[in-house]
Amino acid sequence: MRRLILATFAACLIVTSHGLAETDDQVTARSDVIDLAGAFQNDGFKIRDGNFLGQISKDHSQIVAVNLYSGNAYWFTASTGQKVDKLKVSLFDDAGKPVSYMPYQSGPRAAAGFSPDASGLYYVKVALEEGQPATFCLIYSYK
Amino acid sequence: MLVLRKWLGVSVIALVSAFSASADQQPAGNTTTAADSPLSAEELKNAASVDALTVPTPGEFFKAIEKGGKPNWTSQYRPPVSIKSTDRAQMALNLGTLIADGYIAVEAHDGQQVKNVGKDVLALAKRLSVSQSVLARSASITQFAENDAWDQLNEELEATQNEVKKALEENRDTDLITLVSIGGWIRGTEVVTGLVLQNYSADDARLLRQPALVSFLKNKLTKLPGKLQKDPVVQNVNRDLDGIQKMVSFSADHVPTEGEVKDLNLAASKLTKEIGAPE
Repeated sequence: MRRLILATFAACLIVTSHGLAETDDQVTARSDVIDLAGAFQNDGFKIRDGNFLGQISKDHSQIVAVNLYSGNAYWFTASTGQKVDKLKVSLFDDAGKPVSYMPYQSGPRAAAGFSPDASGLYYVKVALEEGQPATFCLIYSYK
Repeated sequence: MLVLRKWLGVSVIALVSAFSASADQQPAGNTTTAADSPLSAEELKNAASVDALTVPTPGEFFKAIEKGGKPNWTSQYRPPVSIKSTDRAQMALNLGTLIADGYIAVEAHDGQQVKNVGKDVLALAKRLSVSQSVLARSASITQFAENDAWDQLNEELEATQNEVKKALEENRDTDLITLVSIGGWIRGTEVVTGLVLQNYSADDARLLRQPALVSFLKNKLTKLPGKLQKDPVVQNVNRDLDGIQKMVSFSADHVPTEGEVKDLNLAASKLTKEIGAPE
């Protein structure tokens, strides 16, 4: 019985540590996306200290809800950090209709620049156009 | 708007320059696009909402109000809040409001006030057992305040807020994270509406449209454990957010009148006071 309890406890610890620790892919994706967003800092954009890490494939995009303020300018930046991937970031209003934005695509890195006319809810879509299923990291900058 | 577009355009140039070595690069210059297919109902339903990206920081809210001119930030200071309560929910809500106070002091370029608020944040963090995370930042906050390094201070405040939330998570106090965010948003709304009323303009009033954000926060409240939901302060917040949600849920083409902004200011001020009131 004691062995069973110990084994269960050990298993819980392993599961917990896996749940908390970041994988190498997540670290790579985050490091790469911060590198990309750094290009905007010289232009006065501030990188928000928060990110979204997710899994993506050609058949499965990820969509994240964000609340933006009219008057601010934003850059949404994503990366998988994997050389062969082709990523795309696009933006939609609260009804899911596409909005005009400034796109940027460079293999595993992509970004979308946007200045909302109205404050409120918007959606950021990160899609993998080419490449194997991968981990990506999404961040945003504003000014 | 045109100026903002120009800023974004400059950024694209910076981005393209920074990564010009990339072979498969497809810079789009400063063109705009809306050629994407609309999101399906399924996609909208499954969209992720995460505290770290979905809830804007008070600093982001304050940055937007600055576009109309330099606001009188010191007019939005409030007397120091004395929290004697042992109610952890109330402490978490207050921690959020105090962090928002830190952003106000940074916007006002008031080093002494930054340090004062920093001490209050640290005292409250200690009582929530997350002081280590704040302590690690407090030295640099003091240093930046003494050196008038306002941009770095803004970043430190945001990092402090995230460290507090991370520490709460590590302490298995995940439920309190929502309350920190709510406290920050309510105080931020009180401040922004106060500033809009000082020099009313349609552009500034439009900033107050945030229906989905309040809905997201309220949804998080409904997921709190039963014990926390029965907390009198949390019940007050939940009830008052119903009214506030209606006030910030207007169509994109509506401009809130001065009277509507005043109503929202009164509601946010009342709730901030309730959160800070001794038990």
